[in-house]
Amino acid sequence: MTTPAPVVLVVEDEPAMRRFLRTSLRAHGYHVVEAATAREGLAQLAGRNPDVVLLDLGLPDADGIDVTRQVRATHRTPIIVLSARGQERDKVAALDAGADDYLTKPFGLQELLARLRAALRRAVPGRGGAEPSVVTAGELRVDLGRRQVFRAGEEVHLAPTEYRLLAVLAAHAGQVLTHRQLLEAVWGPNFLEQTHYLRVYVGQLRHKLERDPARPRLIATEPGVGYRLRDEAPPAAGG
Amino acid sequence: MDRREAGWRGYAAATATVGAVAFACLQFRATFAPIDVAMLLLLAVVVVAARSARGPAVYASLLAILAFDFAFVPPYYTLAVHEGAYVVTFATMLIVALIMGGLTARLRAEAGAVAARERRLAALYELGRALAGARTPAEVAEVTARHVERAAGTPAAVALRGAAGALEGGGPPFDRPRVAEAAAWVLDHGEAAGTGTAEFPDAGALLLPVGTPLARHGVLAITAGAGAGAGAATERRGLELLAGQAGLALERLALARKEEAARLAVEAERLRTALLSSLSHDLRTPLAGIEGAGTALASDAERLTPVERRELAETVVEESRRMTRLVANLLDMIRLESGALAVHRNWQPLEEPLGVALLRLEGRLADHPVEVALPPDLPLVSVDELLLEQVFVNLLENAAKYTRPGTPIRVSAWRDGAAIVVEVADRGPGVAAGEADAVFRKFHRAPGRHVEDGRPAPGGAGLGLTICRGIVTAHGGRIWVEPAAGGGAAFRFTLPLEAAPPSVDPDAALAFPEAP
Repeated sequence: MTTPAPVVLVVEDEPAMRRFLRTSLRAHGYHVVEAATAREGLAQLAGRNPDVVLLDLGLPDADGIDVTRQVRATHRTPIIVLSARGQERDKVAALDAGADDYLTKPFGLQELLARLRAALRRAVPGRGGAEPSVVTAGELRVDLGRRQVFRAGEEVHLAPTEYRLLAVLAAHAGQVLTHRQLLEAVWGPNFLEQTHYLRVYVGQLRHKLERDPARPRLIATEPGVGYRLRDEAPPAAGG
Repeated sequence: MDRREAGWRGYAAATATVGAVAFACLQFRATFAPIDVAMLLLLAVVVVAARSARGPAVYASLLAILAFDFAFVPPYYTLAVHEGAYVVTFATMLIVALIMGGLTARLRAEAGAVAARERRLAALYELGRALAGARTPAEVAEVTARHVERAAGTPAAVALRGAAGALEGGGPPFDRPRVAEAAAWVLDHGEAAGTGTAEFPDAGALLLPVGTPLARHGVLAITAGAGAGAGAATERRGLELLAGQAGLALERLALARKEEAARLAVEAERLRTALLSSLSHDLRTPLAGIEGAGTALASDAERLTPVERRELAETVVEESRRMTRLVANLLDMIRLESGALAVHRNWQPLEEPLGVALLRLEGRLADHPVEVALPPDLPLVSVDELLLEQVFVNLLENAAKYTRPGTPIRVSAWRDGAAIVVEVADRGPGVAAGEADAVFRKFHRAPGRHVEDGRPAPGGAGLGLTICRGIVTAHGGRIWVEPAAGGGAAFRFTLPLEAAPPSVDPDAALAFPEAP
């Protein structure tokens, strides 16, 4: 039995961008539904019930963050927002409003596919199985059930706070988590402004888990936004 | 302007001279004939006329006649005259005295005039020489005022037309309201005013315009002296000449300024044109590559082999990325210049923005092994992670661009008192001694001599280091380049540690129940 092609709703006003997305995603087995405005997008969302939404934050007829909230009000569909460089605050706002991930324009196809895969994996329990209890990312293996962490087969001992941070990242493997989301999940709502806690602990995790802490490949910094536990090799870096 | 012997001294001298001669002749009345005495007395009168003004000369001649009549014409010791012929003698003596007096007076006056002219010329020459070395209008005003004061013997000052068009400065006598009023009039009308003229004769000073008829630069004011009167006209002519000199000097300076401004404008225009053409080249080149590859793919896809198609597609990607970098740099530059650079600081380890930069540049640093030496106890820094990432990207990119493939790059940092010093060093040709400051200037690009192996000089708009400096400065730090020990360039920047970084409580998370 073949799984039906996942449906991607592309809400983007630039025709060239839509063409690129339509062509490439179709070539990779996605079914693409397009909308050029927020209104169209919300209509398509209601009518077609897509598996994932690609939402441009710079739509002409609405504020992308409002659209995110509107989608979240009624649907649990994963949302990946598309935004330009230098608009980090918008991305963070969208993520905090319920978006699952983001892409910075200009982005390449490989990056897009990786984000889509991660979003779909987490999307609906049952699509890819139950919430994973073991997360693998490169050399790293995190057993959430047994609270054990292995690096290249060897167990690594982590302090309780370190483990908690890693567990949250692992539960969202492949997806970005904002500073705020991480702080809230690990330290609670009173620590939302203490980003240095997060930085210090990420540093400690890196020094224990990364082959080269100066060039972290497992726990990636998303500058201005947050962190991401990479579970795939990053696409070839360019710009 | 001497008034020698115009006073009683002249008359006293006349009396003495004539008296002495008369007395002397009296002793020899027996031996001298009257004609001889007349000649001697005439001589006395001539002497007096030569040394005095007309008044004493006439007085001397009258005195001589009286003396002659009294003591040498019978009847002696009376003023009566026996023979009428002596009247002719008396008249002749008087006329001679008058003529002599007049002649000598005129001679003296002329000599005086010549001397005055010479003095004026000397003063003009002196002023001209002093003004030739003046470099600013203020200097011209100062020098002129001093020379005029010396020539006139009274306080003088020069006020110049300021930027607003009104007179500025000067000092006395400009501090007197009447003089200031007169000065404003002089500036407007370009004619003299003050003492001895029709306008503002009560001002207490003579005011002369300074400048050319086309460009009135200022006003010269000379406090009226006690002796304003005789000779005032010639004096005024002399002052006018001095004012004229000052005017010429000011005109010269104004023209020189205009010329300099024009030259700078031409230079700036030339620079802008060169910049625009080079930027336009930098922007068009990748676009040409993209369009070329794109059109080939669009129209000739079937005629190309898969490998060729892939290569063309990769060209499109590479050139697009190049353009993206260039545009990003230009935008950063614009943001910096317009003051729109927002710095959002967060306490974080320096490792973090460096790591992002290293991963972002992975492809371009492929030929350059990067060694990272950050001490593990380096304190947290309060920086904007995106901006600092940009600084690292620019410095690392430069290091890769300007050094031969295979040469290493080293990033290190250390604490230096109340700041952290970060260094990015390469083993390339380094930065030439005089260029250490120039490299940070906008659009500065290394000259072609950095080509060591036939590669063309690296492109790029020349903005990378300027942006670094803007960002580092916005963080309160300083950036510079020095020769690296062992050859190459070492770019260093400081990040001040204004406050102690916040501490972290290791048990803080445990108080919060874990999310399910």
